Amino acid sequence: MEGRRCRPPNWVLTMSLLSIQDLEKSFAGARALGGASLEVRAGEVHALMGENGAGKSTLIKVLAGVVKPDAGSIAIDGASVTIGSPADSLRLGLRFIHQELSVVPHLSVAENIFLGRDYPRRWGVMIDWDGLNRRAAAVLAGLGVNHIPPGRKMARLSVGDQMLVKIASAFQDASIDGGAPARLYVMDEPTAALSAEESQRLFAVIRRLRAAGAGIIYVSHRLDEVMELADRLTVLRDGATVATRDIAGLQKLEVIELMIGRRFAEGYPPRLAPVSSDVALSVEGLSTAYLQDVTFEVRKGEILGLAGLEGAGQSEVIRAIVGADGGHDGAVSLAGRPVKIEEPVSAWAKGLAFLPRERRQEGLVSSASIAGNVSLPHLDDLVRFGLVLDRAAEAEQAVDLGRKVKLKSKGPRQKVRELSGGNQQKVVFARAIAGSPDVLLLDEPTRGVDVGARYDIHALLRELTAEGKAVVLASSDLPELVYMADRIIVFRDGKVATTVSTEGLDQAGLAALCFGTPTAPSA
Amino acid sequence: MASALKTYGTLIGFVLVVLFFWIEIPDTFMTAKNWLNISQQVSMLAVVAFTMTIVMVMGDFDLSVGSMASLAGIVAALAFRDGHGVWVGVALALAVGLVGGLLNGALVAYVGILPFVATLGTLTVYSGLAFLVSGGKTIFGRDIPTAFSGFARSGISLTDTVSLPSLTIVAALVLLVVWFTLEQTTFGRRLYAIGGNKEAARLAGIRVRRLRFLAFGLSGLGAATAGLMYASRVASANPTQGSGLMLDAIAAVFLGMTMSEEGEPHVLATLVGVLILGVLGNGLTQMSIDSYVREVLIGSIIVLAVASSSLGKTKG
Repeated sequence: MEGRRCRPPNWVLTMSLLSIQDLEKSFAGARALGGASLEVRAGEVHALMGENGAGKSTLIKVLAGVVKPDAGSIAIDGASVTIGSPADSLRLGLRFIHQELSVVPHLSVAENIFLGRDYPRRWGVMIDWDGLNRRAAAVLAGLGVNHIPPGRKMARLSVGDQMLVKIASAFQDASIDGGAPARLYVMDEPTAALSAEESQRLFAVIRRLRAAGAGIIYVSHRLDEVMELADRLTVLRDGATVATRDIAGLQKLEVIELMIGRRFAEGYPPRLAPVSSDVALSVEGLSTAYLQDVTFEVRKGEILGLAGLEGAGQSEVIRAIVGADGGHDGAVSLAGRPVKIEEPVSAWAKGLAFLPRERRQEGLVSSASIAGNVSLPHLDDLVRFGLVLDRAAEAEQAVDLGRKVKLKSKGPRQKVRELSGGNQQKVVFARAIAGSPDVLLLDEPTRGVDVGARYDIHALLRELTAEGKAVVLASSDLPELVYMADRIIVFRDGKVATTVSTEGLDQAGLAALCFGTPTAPSA
Repeated sequence: MASALKTYGTLIGFVLVVLFFWIEIPDTFMTAKNWLNISQQVSMLAVVAFTMTIVMVMGDFDLSVGSMASLAGIVAALAFRDGHGVWVGVALALAVGLVGGLLNGALVAYVGILPFVATLGTLTVYSGLAFLVSGGKTIFGRDIPTAFSGFARSGISLTDTVSLPSLTIVAALVLLVVWFTLEQTTFGRRLYAIGGNKEAARLAGIRVRRLRFLAFGLSGLGAATAGLMYASRVASANPTQGSGLMLDAIAAVFLGMTMSEEGEPHVLATLVGVLILGVLGNGLTQMSIDSYVREVLIGSIIVLAVASSSLGKTKG
């Protein structure tokens, strides 16, 4: 065990506002946290970094009192605490700012700031609206925010301004009813939906909070932001803390290396056949609300990886091609023939198979059986006398494909909600290959899937490409992209930033491209 | 125990209700004649509940079925009064039902209004139309051809004293058609997929909007059929005679849903729900118990059935 991971040095406890030591947490056997430590001082912005699945969200959920750790300790001001519920967390002075804000859109800014507390009154019963608005304006001004009218409806504010109001609400609450003052703000990807200008406003507010002596845990994938804003950073990898560093003097590439570590190519099946020269799918000038002028080609037998930070456009490209979000500008051709796809139904009909990102919300009908889920896009091929469903053929299809994807089940009529995550994903895969498609569009196909199922899925991708199928693979799993894909398109802000061959490319190189770090090695 | 109650609670409740009346009304309740009578009494409700099951499979509702039944009866009666034949009147009424149902479907599927709101609106519209075209009056007597009203009194003789009522046969045919559609066709399979997860169904290439549109059409058609059955049975049509059908139909489907592990509606389970309501009505009437008591009982049974089927679901 010794030397398996390095721990942050033991900070002087009196200095620290929050001290987390060796948190451990497993979900149904899968370890989410194993040795996560974090120490935040009063008056600092502390960035929490790590790849998807490194354990950041679990750590935050522990602080929020939503998840109970299996082992480890948490101390605030040096005193050991137990956070058993969100109420405990609030009482201890922790506040959480997420991308999805819980605001009441129909109430005013002032009401949102003072929600759940006594409003100032006139004659004991009537709400003193002027007084309320004055107080709200004072709270906002205390954070340097002067551009938001307190009487305006929350719904009319931009996301960034709503976030500022939410922070103001957290900031002022101590002064009113004597509860624990807000000591520590946890901000999870707060700038994900903000414009550059809004982000700058947020940073100004964060600096004010810091000056007021608060601690801020700042989670973000945007390295530039972190370098600009944070004082120190802690990096998580595979559920464990790998390092805590001062930002001053730190290089971006160092951070990336800390995040991804050094991993091996083992555990990935080898290529079975070379890529053909025939183009299977070509996309030209694809544009939507999220995408700008995306152009690329995928050849038969090729795996084209789509990489980028969360929300950079990888997922959106796939959704746009299959018509999941309605129409788009630009041209899509299959094997050289232009096609028009405005609804998923036409995508399936034209030989495009689609595996959506969110297995439960978008992929599966969990009340239905394995066979019922596999057959969904292909019901017209399973019909007798024009309209009667051929159940025997449906079950047979599910059994055949289940074998091909190495599905473990009690039979084709088992309900999919009884299956493990990996096996559920194999059901979605079986559906995708059932119609023998020419092109597979896969959005995070191995997310939340155990190691064994992940290998099976990768092996299946190799088989499919050897059969001449083209695969588009959007993934936030960098090793998966580097070892499985033939080429990778890197997206940034809805645009194609660059296209690279995976030959000679390593994870650090790909990560640098995703982050847009100028010192990236060119591949 | 809890899981048995969850799945079989409604069925056990049905058996208990039957046993209760069998003991309380020993002479007349458990007879072929009475059961055929019940089957006729519930036939209209059954048709509405069966076709309501189609939209509820998708997780939707159709609140307009009662006023659609009234409107369909009025349309047929007006056609008869104008001297048209039985088949013309029937065809017109069914057409009105189909169009009205498709209008619901268009509002829900293409305009994007919640089914509750959309069909609440059309409930009022169809009811208003029924009053408007009838002048608010009941159409009866010689205006209704005997060939039409005679249908509800006809049947297939089984013995000298009992016969299988024609209305029961109609309900049985509708049951067969709906069962076949929902359980045996790809159309039905797609509806269940929509009810299970609309977004996943859409992304898997199901034309969610088109299917919702069509399913509401079938519900309207069923409502119109029930309206015609009602008009035939009472040999008259008035603009309110279908109004009790909607709540009972939804109640029957709900009772049926409690019998499924997934909480999905199935038309055979709906049949059990319909029979529970029918047997209660029949038995309580024979015991000369106030019809308001029946309402209290039915409401309680629905709440109890749904509560028992949710046992253990809220844990964890």
